[in-house]
Amino acid sequence: MRQEEVLCLFPERVRDRWREVAACAEGLQEIRFRVGMPLSVWIENRERFVDEQGKIVDRPEKAARPVPEELEEVVKHLCRYSVYAFADEIRQGFLTVQGGHRIGLAGQVVLDGEGRIKNIKYIRYLNIRIAHQVRGAADPVIPHIFEEGRVMSTLLVSPPGGGKTTMLRDLIRQVSEGTAYGDGVNVSVVDERSEIAGSYLGVPQNDVGIRTDVLDGCPKAEGMMLLIRSMAPQVLAVDELGSIEDVQALQMAGGCGCRLLATVHGGSLEEIRHKNYMRYVMEKGLFERYVVLDRRTGVCQVTGIYDGEGKPCIN
Amino acid sequence: MYKLIGVFCILAGCAGWGNTKAAMEKERVRHLRTLFHILGQMRGEVSYGKHTLPEICLLLSELNDDRYKTCFSRIYEQTREENGGDFLKVWETEMGNCLEGLLLREDERETMTGLPKTLNFREEGGQSERIGLAEAFLEGRYRQAEETYENRSKMIRSVSILTGLLLAMILL
Repeated sequence: MRQEEVLCLFPERVRDRWREVAACAEGLQEIRFRVGMPLSVWIENRERFVDEQGKIVDRPEKAARPVPEELEEVVKHLCRYSVYAFADEIRQGFLTVQGGHRIGLAGQVVLDGEGRIKNIKYIRYLNIRIAHQVRGAADPVIPHIFEEGRVMSTLLVSPPGGGKTTMLRDLIRQVSEGTAYGDGVNVSVVDERSEIAGSYLGVPQNDVGIRTDVLDGCPKAEGMMLLIRSMAPQVLAVDELGSIEDVQALQMAGGCGCRLLATVHGGSLEEIRHKNYMRYVMEKGLFERYVVLDRRTGVCQVTGIYDGEGKPCIN
Repeated sequence: MYKLIGVFCILAGCAGWGNTKAAMEKERVRHLRTLFHILGQMRGEVSYGKHTLPEICLLLSELNDDRYKTCFSRIYEQTREENGGDFLKVWETEMGNCLEGLLLREDERETMTGLPKTLNFREEGGQSERIGLAEAFLEGRYRQAEETYENRSKMIRSVSILTGLLLAMILL
């Protein structure tokens, strides 16, 4: 993570103000804008604040309080002056920018005639989540997801911010390039939110391995089938399963002989078993390994690896 | 002998002047055609490709020649994420520089330089519709200019040669 990447998140006019924050790029996790409220940043699991001059301070009273125009300028810049190009993402409340950084948005929702979210206007809250590619993040898991040289279908489980995507990205890279436990294989990635590969103009900005094909910005369910037909992957990877359609597509992919790498929100195996669509997946034995991650101590770590029946491999 | 050479020079000069005038009209037609084609390409990239405006500038720099290539690649360079330039300002400046010295009318020039001001940056349909309006305006001007060129170029050439003849006769 380079300083320049952090500065790129802001329009040129205000970049000087962000230099001190950018200098902490390695440990920077979040930048939070709330109109009229102290401007805060999370650096190495600690909340700090940014004052008018761009200095990092400890007390919220000294912090700058962004005005609506400031936020709009940042949003315009992040959308590259083309909000229309990000309309689908904004509808879901976030957008992903170059480098795979995710920008969460909140404001006033505009509904269409059928009560679905059409747009978000008056964007007054921004949460810039800085993506970090951590090479070796999957090292503790790799020995457990290979069996006789072949990768096993694996589901990564963690609460938001628990490091699922970081681990999935590194898993993809290592599976694609090959490890001491198995040769490299063709991996296809459906990167619905451009978070895994962080593609820009179609080119991955993150290292996802030499045998990886990325379908960027495509809905998971459609993307999985498309990739199976077109790219003949040995391993198919998707982030954040969230609907029955995703699970059905995953099942079809599994039925085509593909190994699967996926992630889902959840605190434990028990927790995800309570989700309707996940219970089905677990009963069908679609995954041969479940990896549970957590961030309780402030550092993302593996808290358990389980086999397809939910029995611990290590704990 | 000298008189003959003089007559020839006068005729050549007048014909050359006429040709230059006609060529200038032709240039205007060419630029108007290029500009409305550019807007058509932009509209297509917005509605079909859903590219962002800086990305569209990059594509346009690859699809166009000479001054437009330079102009769009400069806009892209300055507005890409790394450089963070304000699209409205950069477009206005670069497009203004690009169109400087061209035989365009003020409203035609403004249609191009002020294009981002008319866009709302928000909605795809509205965006391409507004580009479409500018495109239609410039297409209308192009058709007009082409017609004018066809009618006037012959006239300009004839008049310039006749002027040359008349001048030669007077001087003789």
